[in-house]
Amino acid sequence: MIWEVFRQEKSGDYHKHCGNVHAPDREMALLFAEIQHGRRKPTNSLWVTPQKEIGEVDTEDAAFGGTTDKSYRWAMTYNFEAAASEVEESESEQVTADRERKAQIEKAGGN
Amino acid sequence: MDIEEVKQRAGPREFSPKDDMPEEYRKAATRMIQFHANSEIMGAYLEKPFIRQAPSLDRKLAFSAKVQDEIGHGQLLYRAAESLGIKTRDEMLDELAEGEGKFLNCFHYPMDSYVETPMIAFFVDGAAMRRQATLKSTSWEPYAHAMDKVCFEEGFHVKHGEAILYELMTGSKKEQEMTQEAFEEWWPRIIQFFGPTNDKSTHHGFASEVGLKQMGNDELRTAFLNAYIPKAEKYGLEIPDEPRISKNDDGTYEVVEEDLDWDEFFTIAKNDYEPGVGQIEGRKASQDAVEWVRESLDNHENRLYGSSQPQAAD
Repeated sequence: MIWEVFRQEKSGDYHKHCGNVHAPDREMALLFAEIQHGRRKPTNSLWVTPQKEIGEVDTEDAAFGGTTDKSYRWAMTYNFEAAASEVEESESEQVTADRERKAQIEKAGGN
Repeated sequence: MDIEEVKQRAGPREFSPKDDMPEEYRKAATRMIQFHANSEIMGAYLEKPFIRQAPSLDRKLAFSAKVQDEIGHGQLLYRAAESLGIKTRDEMLDELAEGEGKFLNCFHYPMDSYVETPMIAFFVDGAAMRRQATLKSTSWEPYAHAMDKVCFEEGFHVKHGEAILYELMTGSKKEQEMTQEAFEEWWPRIIQFFGPTNDKSTHHGFASEVGLKQMGNDELRTAFLNAYIPKAEKYGLEIPDEPRISKNDDGTYEVVEEDLDWDEFFTIAKNDYEPGVGQIEGRKASQDAVEWVRESLDNHENRLYGSSQPQAAD
């Protein structure tokens, strides 16, 4: 049975997927995960879950981010200097996300 | 963990559901997150009518996206609150419908005209974002994680609101006058957003000792005034004479608190303010109207899994 492993580096971080282990039960899976994924890299905690329990939607099933033009819901559409630092920060996060999204679309075949 | 240890360890994203937190912490965090979640939901209902009433397709789309965002934030926050083990999401939603759930003062007032929308979408959201940005380093990890997503989306709300304000203040004379009027009406409420001064705030001490709250009401209000008063003036809004606001030598602003109507504020805080009661009942009616959806989802889940209890994975 395959178990997916999610590692959290520091307390307060998100758990990120880092690989999987083969194990017959949860107890063994936790032990193997600890050895394989928590031995060298900095680790604060591990989540281990049976692979078949993970639901998946992939690019074939869904048009992530929508296929229509949704520019109206991005901060940079509104061409004003941000009032405060936290608004600026949020906008720059959106600019980065938008750039990554466009690169991904281009890579997938430029539609 | 006892409360002394909590205070000692308190720091950004320090505690998560696997920590054994004392009840006092879990209750305080639940109250704070539930209040925040309720406010997101009530704010969305306040703006919902303007999806239809907005004057252009662009504005309709943006309002619809914004309302969608706010409802999403509410759901995210109920989950973060639920992870404290005090109340379930359903209990919190029911409390809101029954008028027991508390929420932000500004969302108790009805909004009648489109010229009022930038008061929420620019000033209130700007004030909210000021606060939310500090909560990215709250000590309850699920709350901080929710804030990452909330702040990511919120920048669009504030700038969309600013675009409307700009449009209205460069529009016809009539539009400018109506916007100024709305501003005068909303301004005291907006300043009250951050609540009373630290020394009069009942919950501030404990929440900041255990790292839930990162900044006091006074600091937040000052930072907000410094950023948004110049903006308001830039667009030609006149700051009302009351509540009096003084500018300190170092360029920071201070508001004369006695000029604000704190009786009304605390009546609102208890959900006793008449127009606000209408807001709550409107939301309850919407929740009742889709009872059948929740019911059929529950039935479906029971049919599949026998009960709504989570399945054992192995």
